[in-house]
Amino acid sequence: MVQYLFNGFANLISSGSIFALFIGVFLGIIIGALPGLTATMGIALLIPFTYGMNPAFALSLMIGIFAGGIYGGSISAILLKTPGTPAAGATVLDGYPLAQKGQAGKALAISTIASALGGLIGALILTFLAPQIARIAVLFGPPEYVLLGAYGLTMISYVAGKSMAKGIFMGLLGLLISTIGIDPISGFPRFTFGQLNLLSGLSLLPVLIGLFAAAQAFEGVEKHNEIQVKQVKITKIGISGHEFIQILPHIIKSAFIGTFVGAVPGTGTDIAAFLSYGEAKRSSKHPEEFGTGRIEGVAAPESGNNACVNGAMIPMFTLGIPGEAATAVMLGGLMLLGLQPGPLLFKENPQVIYTVFASTITSNLLILVLGLIGARFFAKVLQLPMKLITTLIFVLAIIGSYAMRNNVFDVGVTIIAGFLGYILVKADYPVPPVLLGLILGPLVESNLGRTIIISEGNLLVFFTRPLCWLFWTLILYTIISNILKSRKTVKASSQEAKE
Amino acid sequence: MHKRIFGIILLMSFLVAMGISAQAKFPTKPIKIIVPWNAGGGTDAVARALARSGEKYLGVPVVVENKPGGSGAVGLAEVVQAAPDGYTLAILPVELGFMDKTGVYPFGFKDFTPIMNLNTDPAALTVKAGRFKSVQEFIAYAKANPGKLKVGHSGTGLLWHLAAAVFAKEAGITLTYVPFDGAAPAIAALIGNQIDAVTVSGAEVQSQVKAGELTMLACMGDKRLANFPQIPTLMELGYKVNISTFRGIGGPKGLPADRVTILHDAFKKMMEEPEFIETLNKMGLGIDYRSTADYKKLADDTAAALEPVLTELGLLRKK
Repeated sequence: MVQYLFNGFANLISSGSIFALFIGVFLGIIIGALPGLTATMGIALLIPFTYGMNPAFALSLMIGIFAGGIYGGSISAILLKTPGTPAAGATVLDGYPLAQKGQAGKALAISTIASALGGLIGALILTFLAPQIARIAVLFGPPEYVLLGAYGLTMISYVAGKSMAKGIFMGLLGLLISTIGIDPISGFPRFTFGQLNLLSGLSLLPVLIGLFAAAQAFEGVEKHNEIQVKQVKITKIGISGHEFIQILPHIIKSAFIGTFVGAVPGTGTDIAAFLSYGEAKRSSKHPEEFGTGRIEGVAAPESGNNACVNGAMIPMFTLGIPGEAATAVMLGGLMLLGLQPGPLLFKENPQVIYTVFASTITSNLLILVLGLIGARFFAKVLQLPMKLITTLIFVLAIIGSYAMRNNVFDVGVTIIAGFLGYILVKADYPVPPVLLGLILGPLVESNLGRTIIISEGNLLVFFTRPLCWLFWTLILYTIISNILKSRKTVKASSQEAKE
Repeated sequence: MHKRIFGIILLMSFLVAMGISAQAKFPTKPIKIIVPWNAGGGTDAVARALARSGEKYLGVPVVVENKPGGSGAVGLAEVVQAAPDGYTLAILPVELGFMDKTGVYPFGFKDFTPIMNLNTDPAALTVKAGRFKSVQEFIAYAKANPGKLKVGHSGTGLLWHLAAAVFAKEAGITLTYVPFDGAAPAIAALIGNQIDAVTVSGAEVQSQVKAGELTMLACMGDKRLANFPQIPTLMELGYKVNISTFRGIGGPKGLPADRVTILHDAFKKMMEEPEFIETLNKMGLGIDYRSTADYKKLADDTAAALEPVLTELGLLRKK
């Protein structure tokens, strides 16, 4: 095993694949940082060029783009409040406030370190435990997906802000929007108003870019006349040893969450990031400071989503089933290279597999190096005058939403979502629960339908499966601990009032 | 006076000549093939493999454009609305034959001009390894336990769902259909014993079947799969089930016949390019050239075969 891995590293270097990996990570970071260009698209655009390439070389290129792309999304999320990919949606929550506090350098460094370390842990799990994890992942049936989604929805309590009622309301709004499109069970279109563009529902990315980036741009337009334009200073890139120790446990925990979410087919980097964020906030001693620029709030989702990159490759290589969208495209690419992903790949092409494993491990080290060097340059964006930043955000939001599907309809979605996001922020309604509803709604709905079909209408199935109990425990724990916490704060504030 | 008439005649004949030469000279600008799905999928691979040799046989570049959205409807709508001049084409999915009847597509095959068929992939009945040894055993179990066998497919009202239903109807059994969001999650659920069978294409399960994880009981095409010559077809076993997905190429309604011929002849040669053959083989996709007339017949036959099942499943939508 270890010897195979050494051979993999040797092959990575001797075949020149390490060069491909470097280019992949580099391109991936740029692709990820540009809103609208996602890691999935990056890989898809690359596939026609891999024709006739050495498989290890081409795979390293794809892995580099995937890992780099998921990391790169955090850069624009932190600096411009514009998540480059849906995976960076959770990073905005604390990354952007941290940068606005003048600590953009720190935020970028944390995101880089967390992405690299989380990814590295994920890559090690992929390398040493892939077949075992894959066996557990297929035990995940529709009931487990429903409860995983429900658990994810309890994360609303962590991103709701001050008022839980507003948070739940916004979460429901997200769920409602997610029902647009073809019904996953009956196959009939719902709420489409005859619009072909609505048949498969609203795409996540234009909504995400709208709610965050376009809304931010609208706010920038408003503020531009009112107040003195403040320039955000850039602190030095890096973090202290103390801060590292503070985020390390969150990085490790999120890496495990991310890897597992990735290994389960049908859930991806965006869900991994939100679950990691919620867990970090739950276990924090200062949950009330989340959303104002906590460093754990940047580290957790970034570790989670990059670990998820590696987790998603587990079912692809061991079972021939993609973990999520980017791996689905990679799977096609692998086949064009003449490789048959699946159980036989380990037997027939161990050399390629172990070179892949070596690539995943190395890609995270490259993220660390390229990210820390690049952060200096990326952060310079914030030295631009506010007017230019606002314009830049708006232009990126429009181009990004168009580029995803070459569709003007998506630009309209972004602008409407932008207005909505702008109004919501004004009215002090939290935006992140909308996203959670949008991301998790389809997962819960379709799997609930499946559960009912498979169990022949017997909902007791949710209580007879051991993995379900794991999620029940998590869900109840989250809800009860939230209620207790809010009671405590109510008591504390009423006592203060008495005094 | 004479001079003027002469001039007019000269001008007119010049225009006519231009018209003729314009007609003879097709194509003169790049041809666009719209893929109504995301880049990186099977349809995209077929289109790109084909387009690669476009310039060689048509003299102009053939460009693939991905227009995903609305289960393919967004991209296809663009072709329906395009000028029927042969410069805007699309890879047409099998679903065009019936998704207008189920109320998803606002257009059907009749709104397109078919050019030719490129690829065909039959459905296959696949179970977890060791669960059933043969189709007969599967049917016997289903007869003894009506509705107990859960069959996964890639989406309600999509072809693999209908394939399962056609099989059940022919075999006289009752199955429970479980829709998944694509073939891959259905296969994952089968591996995890969440369901009892899938009716996705043989190509989609081939790596798991080769690894001994899953067992393919039968293929639903008119002939055996090249990669699994030992697996019988349902036809051989006496069930009249012939369901394959097919990808063809076509343009908007009203494409002039001479242009269809030019495109057909060029695409046929492009299909014979070794690169195209190699790509489809690697993806496990079956190459299946069919002429314009045969392609039309395939589409009509499939639509006719599916009609009764659509009614039975309650998928038909009143207009």
